[in-house]
Amino acid sequence: MAVERMTYPFSAIVGQDRMKLALVLNAINPSIGGVLIRGEKGTAKSTAVRALTSLLPEHQVVKACRFGCEPSDLDHLCSECRDRRAAGEEPLPAITRRMRVVELPINASEDRVVGTIDLEAALKEGSKRFEPGVLAEANRNILYVDEVNLLDDHIVDVLLDSAAMGMNVVEREGVSVIHPSRFILVGTMNPEEGELRPQLLDRFGLCVDVEGIRDLDRRVHIVERRAAWEEDPAAFQAEHSSAEGETRARIAEAIQTYPELQVERPILRLIAQLSIALEVDGHRADLVCARAAQAQAAFDRSSDVSVQHVSHVAPMVYSHRLRSVPFGKAGPNLAEVINRIVAQ
Amino acid sequence: MIELRNAYPFSALVGQAGMRLALCLNAVNPAVGGVLIRGERGTAKSTAVRALARLLPEQQVVAGCRYGCDPAIPAHLCADCRWRLAAGEDPLPRNTRRMRVVELPINASEDRVVGTIDLEAALQKGAKRFQPGVLADANRNLLYVDEVNLLDDHIVDVLLDAAAMGVNVVEREGVSVSHPSRFILVGTMNPEEGDLRPQLLDRFGLCVDVKGIRDPELRVEIAEREAAFKTGDREFLARFRTADLDLAEALGAALKALPKVRLRSNRRRLISSICLQAGVQGHRADVVIERTARALAALGGHREATADDVYDAAELALAHRARYAVRREQEELAPQDGRQSEEANAEAGERAEAGNSDESASGAQESEGQGEESAQAEAGEQAAGAEQGRTTGSEGRSESPIEAEDIFSVRKIELARQHKTRKTGGKRQASKASDRRGRYVRAEAKEKVTDLAVDATVRAAAPHQAKRGRARGERLRLERQDLQQKVRERKVGNLIVFVVDASASMDAEQRMAATKGAILSLLQDAYVRRDKVALIVFKNRTAEVVLRPTASVSLAQRRLERLSVGGTTPLTHGLMAGYKVIKSELSRDPTIRPLLVLISDGRGNISMFKEEPLVEAQKMAALIKSEKIEALIIDSARDYSTLASVQHLARVAPMYQSYALNACSDLAERMEGRYYGIYDLSREEIAAAVAGQLNRRR
Repeated sequence: MAVERMTYPFSAIVGQDRMKLALVLNAINPSIGGVLIRGEKGTAKSTAVRALTSLLPEHQVVKACRFGCEPSDLDHLCSECRDRRAAGEEPLPAITRRMRVVELPINASEDRVVGTIDLEAALKEGSKRFEPGVLAEANRNILYVDEVNLLDDHIVDVLLDSAAMGMNVVEREGVSVIHPSRFILVGTMNPEEGELRPQLLDRFGLCVDVEGIRDLDRRVHIVERRAAWEEDPAAFQAEHSSAEGETRARIAEAIQTYPELQVERPILRLIAQLSIALEVDGHRADLVCARAAQAQAAFDRSSDVSVQHVSHVAPMVYSHRLRSVPFGKAGPNLAEVINRIVAQ
Repeated sequence: MIELRNAYPFSALVGQAGMRLALCLNAVNPAVGGVLIRGERGTAKSTAVRALARLLPEQQVVAGCRYGCDPAIPAHLCADCRWRLAAGEDPLPRNTRRMRVVELPINASEDRVVGTIDLEAALQKGAKRFQPGVLADANRNLLYVDEVNLLDDHIVDVLLDAAAMGVNVVEREGVSVSHPSRFILVGTMNPEEGDLRPQLLDRFGLCVDVKGIRDPELRVEIAEREAAFKTGDREFLARFRTADLDLAEALGAALKALPKVRLRSNRRRLISSICLQAGVQGHRADVVIERTARALAALGGHREATADDVYDAAELALAHRARYAVRREQEELAPQDGRQSEEANAEAGERAEAGNSDESASGAQESEGQGEESAQAEAGEQAAGAEQGRTTGSEGRSESPIEAEDIFSVRKIELARQHKTRKTGGKRQASKASDRRGRYVRAEAKEKVTDLAVDATVRAAAPHQAKRGRARGERLRLERQDLQQKVRERKVGNLIVFVVDASASMDAEQRMAATKGAILSLLQDAYVRRDKVALIVFKNRTAEVVLRPTASVSLAQRRLERLSVGGTTPLTHGLMAGYKVIKSELSRDPTIRPLLVLISDGRGNISMFKEEPLVEAQKMAALIKSEKIEALIIDSARDYSTLASVQHLARVAPMYQSYALNACSDLAERMEGRYYGIYDLSREEIAAAVAGQLNRRR
């Protein structure tokens, strides 16, 4: 029951290359862990996320599974798929589906996020069926939260829980269900409206800060494109369809090639040095940085993961993991440290 | 036909040209994005909005559609209409309707705004159906929010969401629906009652400030027309019916002409250079000006928007967005004049004394984003500083504004209060709201149910229906134990009221600078945490509320920077003003947690109630304590009272007795607040003291 929206083409967004890259890298390798886009008002944050939809790859899902389980990943099947296998449906039938952007509106209530008892089924048949929520829909898809810093705390708690476990455990109103819920978390926010909880901040693999473009010509360009889009969306989409197709093909290709690219030991050492110099907590940053560099290399059609790839993605990996607080000037300077270490 | 019987005609409004124009422009091009009307009460704001709606052309809607879908635009159809189309109802039947003004009341609950589960269907048939809310009504209409700045935060959030996407996505109370919600947002506010959140402010395409009319002739005219309207004067009605009909026709013509209105590329450059010069954030302003300029041209009957149209549009679109003033230039920018506009930028930058180049020079700092917040905060501060430089010597007194940043570099100070409670067992700091306001977060079974959670109740009852012998299609069989109460939550903010001594004695030893520095850092933190702050300054013979409770840090900064010192010390006045601000805020929202921070040397010397000033202040302190208002006193003077020589002097000469008394620590005792000396503390410690005070209450 969703209203389809015509989306502004991804490749028609002027500038904001880092934001676009961060989204693309996640589409290539979902285990990078999502992206947080912070920035001032009116900088195409939401537009970019919604536009990503048409560039996303296809993947295999178990046919008729309400949670979009992956047929080959037997360890992470939902309870329903397990029952089907136990009942002799082996192998589980698969169909191909395009990855989607699932939105979590900030007015969401808990029952719709985690799912709850299917009311009509209970009334008509007296059966206790589970009605999946947003977390079920988001499985293996992108979960997008606009104004993520305004999300209610109890919804954030639920998100954090299932993000940490990769599954959603429901025990409420007499239903008891476990289903996988692995999603790419994408959030946008305007920092003026308040901060994000640190635990949630850390969940985002990458973070980019966007700001308005100060160059006159490109500014004019933005308004012109916007006007053209509004005048005739279909024609505008057609005009940009070849660029879109090209990006889509590159992403699809990178998805095939990135697992084969080795991240060599010297590169891993470099990443470790970065993490140490920047005094980040834990090891999540190292993992994310390696994966992002790998995805970047694949996207660049490069044959190996180089220092350049690391230095290119490092700002997105580390900017939200620095200990210093936003207003503070103290703490290590990100760009400086990256330059220094990469130069070595 | 236009009915004038019971509605005041739009053309009969006197004055307020800006407001009327902004409304008409939205009528011509709804994509302009609404208008925010700021101003005092009784300036015909809502009359104008209602009058306008009746002038708008009728629109085609799908017959029987709950959202008033436009049959001509398939892409905007709601799910119901799509389903009907798919079921073969093609073409969809049509109706015509007039655009309406849909009001969003200030006390609206979230379920009413976004829509909720249909109570009757749920109980009668056990069916899950969506009952549309205000956002559904508002689709393709005018959404009017009076006093938009007083709207609850979580309502603002859903409003923002819908306004941004043109779609209302509902995932709550068991229903999962999305429907189109494109509306012209018209808001009014009285700026004295608090600011609008910047994010919501930016959503309004245009903004106009209205003032009461001062011209006596015009005032008489208003009264006369009002009287004529009330008595149903025929001549009056006939005259303005014609005028309204003409206007309606002009609006209709402009609406038709709009798609053909062009904007030359050098005018587009002009738009962007104006926006750069104004230092706006993001790109929405550019887009809004473009649309508004074209609407202006359409309304003026031109085929192309002129430079004047662009400037007029910019005036309306930048009133709430510009950080620097924009000059109107007579000559048009020639295409090669990119350099010239850069100079204009540089100039704007200089004016703001912005040392950081990212705010002014074009594209100088594209990639380095992480210092952005601090850079912005600083730029704002410096801009405010520059402003202060221009407005020195207000009212011709020899008072000197004092700058804060010379003494302390502004650094963020963490008031760790919110995270602290979370760490202990993941508890939320939002307090449970018992008055049906706040967000419905979940349901629970309760002895006495006052706020029924329909979805949860039906769900609780559903599994037992067969047992209770309900046949198909029958009414749901409910029992007492099924009833579920809504648990609502509401974010509760702190209200920090600064009562600041600005008497001449604060000039000594750079006390004011220290004070300003301390407040500034607190402000930055309070803002991010959405605490409200208020600022009261006392000097000479009165206290002035220079800042009503607000969450706007930029406003507070500006006011603070402009502070000057001089004159006597009306301490009682200051405390009284602080007390009143807190009381009035509490009456509006009893859940708020106030903290009064007094920064003074405590030596009041002006009487308010014809008593000894010191005694008066002590009485005020007792009153504040009796109302259970938390207090924190920061002594701006050095404490000499404990010096042996002072003690001796006080013993031998009774007239110096009061000097042996530390006035501030005495007041602190009487208020049962904490006492700190400004010289004992660094700025960080002052902030920590406030944080500590706020934490202690948990």
